[in-house]
Amino acid sequence: MAANPVPIWWDDPADAFTNMAADELLAAEADRRGGLVVRLYGWSPASVSLGAFQEIAVARGRPEIAGLPLVRRPSGGGAIVHGSDLTYAAAIPRTHPWAAAAQPLYDAFHAALVAELAHRGIAARQHRRGGVDERDGRFLCFDRRAEGDVVVSPAGSGPSPDDPKILGSAQRRLAGVVPQHGSLLLRAAAAGDHPGLLDLHPQAVPAPRTLVASWLERVAQACGSPVAWQPRGFRVGRDAEVAAAAVRFREARWLERR
Amino acid sequence: MAADLKFAKTHEWIRHEGDGLATVGISAYAVEALTDLVFMQLPQVGRKVKAGESIGEIESVKAVSDFYAPVSGEIVEVNAAVPNALETLGQDPYGAGWLVKIRPENPAELDALLDQAAYDASVKAGH
Repeated sequence: MAANPVPIWWDDPADAFTNMAADELLAAEADRRGGLVVRLYGWSPASVSLGAFQEIAVARGRPEIAGLPLVRRPSGGGAIVHGSDLTYAAAIPRTHPWAAAAQPLYDAFHAALVAELAHRGIAARQHRRGGVDERDGRFLCFDRRAEGDVVVSPAGSGPSPDDPKILGSAQRRLAGVVPQHGSLLLRAAAAGDHPGLLDLHPQAVPAPRTLVASWLERVAQACGSPVAWQPRGFRVGRDAEVAAAAVRFREARWLERR
Repeated sequence: MAADLKFAKTHEWIRHEGDGLATVGISAYAVEALTDLVFMQLPQVGRKVKAGESIGEIESVKAVSDFYAPVSGEIVEVNAAVPNALETLGQDPYGAGWLVKIRPENPAELDALLDQAAYDASVKAGH
């Protein structure tokens, strides 16, 4: 595989529309560079991102998220309450070996996190589906279990089918590029009954930023590349482009497409 | 697969019907790769599209995937039954699982697409 470094940008938290717009521009960057690119970010204010085809009427009828800004992702899956999570966005060109099917890119990020957590003594694993899961149609992403989702056993507990999910990702497969983003739940979100990684293992994760850095270095190693931490955020110097791209995410016809 | 099909590298098939229209769907390979299908959105009838333009989306448990116009033209009909019976795509991708009918604006664009052998080779090469 290519030895070009994987650029990783860490952005300041932003609103939901800005975040989705920046992810879209990141995908174009992967196409331009011809390799994996990654950015990290948080959400301010706390917001809810809906999967591409989740029904807006259902979302608006959920009392636990009432009052939170809503944005629709281009990727599928369930709704995520953002604010206490760290979101990663990644993109690869379709020529990348991980783009041949959907699962390799998921596994690249998820397996790397499992390995990093294991290194820190945290029992984590990738969920393996046995077929259709009765949780599939649930509204919130963290109530669902997709193939490869990262689940963690609470401190002092053995593995259980009820182990909470702490990382889920969603992908959009385009002709030239495959963008993917995922939510690493650090602390319980404002809605939903989902403990975060720091709630489950506060002693084992004293410095989340260091954990995240090590995690992504494992991802880059898996594709044979070093990491190139970028000195500024991805959005820095791209304000006008991001603002222009954010317009469609703010439009009612996008949010209310279903 | 029928010998009269042509394919785009983005996994759409197209069949020239001889009445000035062409039928478009997605290949069995693409359907299988999607795995369990959840939702589909088809384009509006009357929409004019360019070859390579995204004309619809399919959500599976794995991802949301776009599908593309293999040729330029006007969408004259969509298969409204398929979004309510997504299993049709897997059961009969080249027949009942058709997705749209296009009136091509330049029939020569079909000649530039892949025949079955070339498409199979493309899939095998991981494209």
